[in-house]
Amino acid sequence: MIAHDKIRELLALVAAGALDAAEQERLERHLAECVECAQELEGWNALAGGLRRLPMPRPPTGLVERTRTLLGKQLAAEAERRWDMGVLVFLVVFAWTLVLVSWPIVRLMSEGMLGWMDSGLHQTWVWLAVYSALGWLAAAAAAVALGLRQRELRRKV
Amino acid sequence: MMWEVPVGLESEAARLRRGDPAAFEALLERYQNRVYRYLLRMVREPATAEDLFQQTWLRVAEKIRAYNPQRSFEAWLFSVARNLAIDHLRRYRPESVDEPLATGETRADQLVGAGPTALEGVIVRERSSRLAATLGELPVIYREVLSLRFEEEMKLEEIAEVLGTPLSTVKTRLRRSLEQMRGRLEARGSAREWQV
Repeated sequence: MIAHDKIRELLALVAAGALDAAEQERLERHLAECVECAQELEGWNALAGGLRRLPMPRPPTGLVERTRTLLGKQLAAEAERRWDMGVLVFLVVFAWTLVLVSWPIVRLMSEGMLGWMDSGLHQTWVWLAVYSALGWLAAAAAAVALGLRQRELRRKV
Repeated sequence: MMWEVPVGLESEAARLRRGDPAAFEALLERYQNRVYRYLLRMVREPATAEDLFQQTWLRVAEKIRAYNPQRSFEAWLFSVARNLAIDHLRRYRPESVDEPLATGETRADQLVGAGPTALEGVIVRERSSRLAATLGELPVIYREVLSLRFEEEMKLEEIAEVLGTPLSTVKTRLRRSLEQMRGRLEARGSAREWQV
């Protein structure tokens, strides 16, 4: 009787195809002998069949089109954001490269060509400071411009 | 049907992660009906389901880089939709997330059927409509598990992934939801009415 009650608990799950192999085997052995459980299972199978055949509600007219438009806008905004980020990363790397590379160039210029051009401005540190300041000012301006643009994009989306 | 083809090819996943509009277009085409149906089962109000449908696809576009191509795409997609639906239910109807509705009437009655034509079709639609209405009366944790198993035909492991629960919990919810469903139908004297 206990086995019978335990099996009855499995009947809903078998209709949902949710039994493991061992439970399935146990159930089949029991069903071969128990008419009551076999009839009970028919009811569960009918319910499961009814659920599988429920009508498919379709999205209302226009919803998919509206979603497609929104999605397109969002993807375009994402692509622009990625592009802006790429440009920002490039500018930062470029600025740092410029600063690092400037040292040997400025030395070469100050001790070489500029040596005879202007004796007052040939000190290496002056050129390096001017060069770095210009580089960082340009990077800061680019960062501010990109930041404003991203804010505008976010407002649009 | 087109939507039966799962997202699994690496190239397709890579295109989605790159934000390729054509890949998203194909995805929307393939899953539109299923995502809408699932959301409608969850929230039961067509206007809310429409809103969540749009939010789901925007969230998918936003979070696609977080998707791991080694895992089931469908499970990921439905978990995105589910999270939005659950958030909505918690925000607007906190008392009803895990509780059955007090009254029987639901918008599910208004669902348009796709069965056979003529008188037989009308009878089938009426029975299905009644079944859908009974499904709509169940608590959300039960109707979602039934929808995922019988309508979306997901494997138990996929359902567990969508719900973020152990497999044993999915089985328990599945059994209890079927028992509740049958109990309600029998109480109305229409236990086997849906059989055609």
